[in-house]
Amino acid sequence: MMSGQEEEELPVNHTGPKGVINDWRRFKLDSLDPTVPQSKRELLRQMSSPREDDKERLNRKMSAQEYEMIQEEDEGSLKRYRTQSMQEMHERLSFGPAFEEVKELESGDAFLEVIEKEHQMTLVIVHIYQHGVKGCEQLNSCLDCLALEYPSIRFCRMDAVATGAVERFTPEVLPALLVYKAGESLAHFLAVTKHFNEDFFATDVEGFLNEYGLLPKKEFTAWADDEDEGGNVE
Amino acid sequence: MGEMEELRKEMENLKDQITAARKTFQDSTLQEAAAGVTVVGRVQLKTRKTLRGHLAKIYAMHWGTDSTLCVSASQDGKLIVWDTITTNKVNAIPLKSSWVMTCAYAPSGNLVACGGLDNMCSIYNLKGKDGNVKVMRELAAHTGYLSCCRFLSDTEIITSSGDCTCVLWDIETGTQKTVFAGHQGDAMSLGVSPDFKYFISGACDFTAKLWDIREAECRQTFGGHESDINAIGFFPNGNAVITGSDDATCKLYDLRADQELLTYQDSSIMCGVTSLAPSKSGRLLLAGHDDFNVNIWDMLKAERVGVLAGHDNRVSCIGVSSDGMACCTGSWDSFLKIWN
Repeated sequence: MMSGQEEEELPVNHTGPKGVINDWRRFKLDSLDPTVPQSKRELLRQMSSPREDDKERLNRKMSAQEYEMIQEEDEGSLKRYRTQSMQEMHERLSFGPAFEEVKELESGDAFLEVIEKEHQMTLVIVHIYQHGVKGCEQLNSCLDCLALEYPSIRFCRMDAVATGAVERFTPEVLPALLVYKAGESLAHFLAVTKHFNEDFFATDVEGFLNEYGLLPKKEFTAWADDEDEGGNVE
Repeated sequence: MGEMEELRKEMENLKDQITAARKTFQDSTLQEAAAGVTVVGRVQLKTRKTLRGHLAKIYAMHWGTDSTLCVSASQDGKLIVWDTITTNKVNAIPLKSSWVMTCAYAPSGNLVACGGLDNMCSIYNLKGKDGNVKVMRELAAHTGYLSCCRFLSDTEIITSSGDCTCVLWDIETGTQKTVFAGHQGDAMSLGVSPDFKYFISGACDFTAKLWDIREAECRQTFGGHESDINAIGFFPNGNAVITGSDDATCKLYDLRADQELLTYQDSSIMCGVTSLAPSKSGRLLLAGHDDFNVNIWDMLKAERVGVLAGHDNRVSCIGVSSDGMACCTGSWDSFLKIWN
């Protein structure tokens, strides 16, 4: 579920047919004349919420009055609504602490702490390295760069020998990149440099993580409304 | 009042008898039967292509049977047919209504359909003589929103609706051939069996129903979910049904045993399931949740083996191609991605 930023009292769906209904309701509410105050908004809210004693209504997702409100909408309002919706979603997901550099984890406990205690929305990427193992130093430099470009990500590194991690992460599987979010493991890349050339750069690591859908967009760009997207393109 | 009470008791009694009868057939659990099977290991999928062109949230997508073309429906009021290999847009079809909930690709590749808050299912001919894509039929009769539609052929399509019914239509005449009534809540999703003889529907009455298309009857009803069923699909061999619900779980029901085999749940997952797609072998299940996350399950062992698009919760719909080679996801930020 989305973090506690929902204004609505009832849980709503964002995807599937119920997501469409919810989006339509929000559009209707947003396009209400703001000078017509609470009463009309209240009415709309009431129409969407089943009464507690009406068990049959609970299984129906749209009220009769709502069906009557469906009509052709003004394209301008729709465009504004779409852009605003995406902007809001983007901001919701970008909300969270910002970091500037790669953090050195000194022990196994520090590792557990960062994985379990970071903000729910924060992606944690841990690089397990060992001095002298090929690729580790290069990867560390790359992550230093990426840490600046992706401030919402908590990049960390861990010396396998110093922290004792070497027992589970032997040199053949290093450097390793472990990705966590909200306490859960999203991805494990052992001997991650096997995916790169001898010489690799921050952009290669960035591209690799992007392929697995692990990196956020750097910034949100509102779309220029492109009307010539319509029509057939053979 | 006494009679109502009697009838209610009789109904409860019959329900208990059915449950007991089902139990007598249960000689094992799926977990026991699958105990010796090798683990799948962690599943990590990579993006192979990004489909750019829509201007708003993707509400639905459906693969064509050639596993190359697919159709997507977006809040921007367009249906786009994509060539997923070249990422080119083959057709961009403007819709009358932006509030589209479902889209479908006919097995022949000749037609696509969509519908939503307009309560209608619109059929488009992709292979018209002059090259332009036009509305071929508007199937109107439902008194509620169109939640899902699936073609049986170029002449027949099945729809599910917020009016609690599912309907089999004759596309040529634009009329209803059969109305499948029985659900006590909005019908949210449907799936057609591999042999095209049956279809399944999931609804807001927390049940899934199996319908015989030609006999026009409900053959089986499956309960157990504690909230609305939002997504439903056949297990690839057609012998089982997979459901996804607002109760944050997926369930697997076996048709011949007439009962639930497994529930896919985890205490850390609290968000409803709104889309699902099994892999071609049926070993993996991709479940899309309402928080835009996708979990990947090992269907035999009921264990989570991965997530899709891990960082950015963006996925609003998913679909696996019929050749099983790729999975397509639609996002709230207007893109579609092809993964494998």
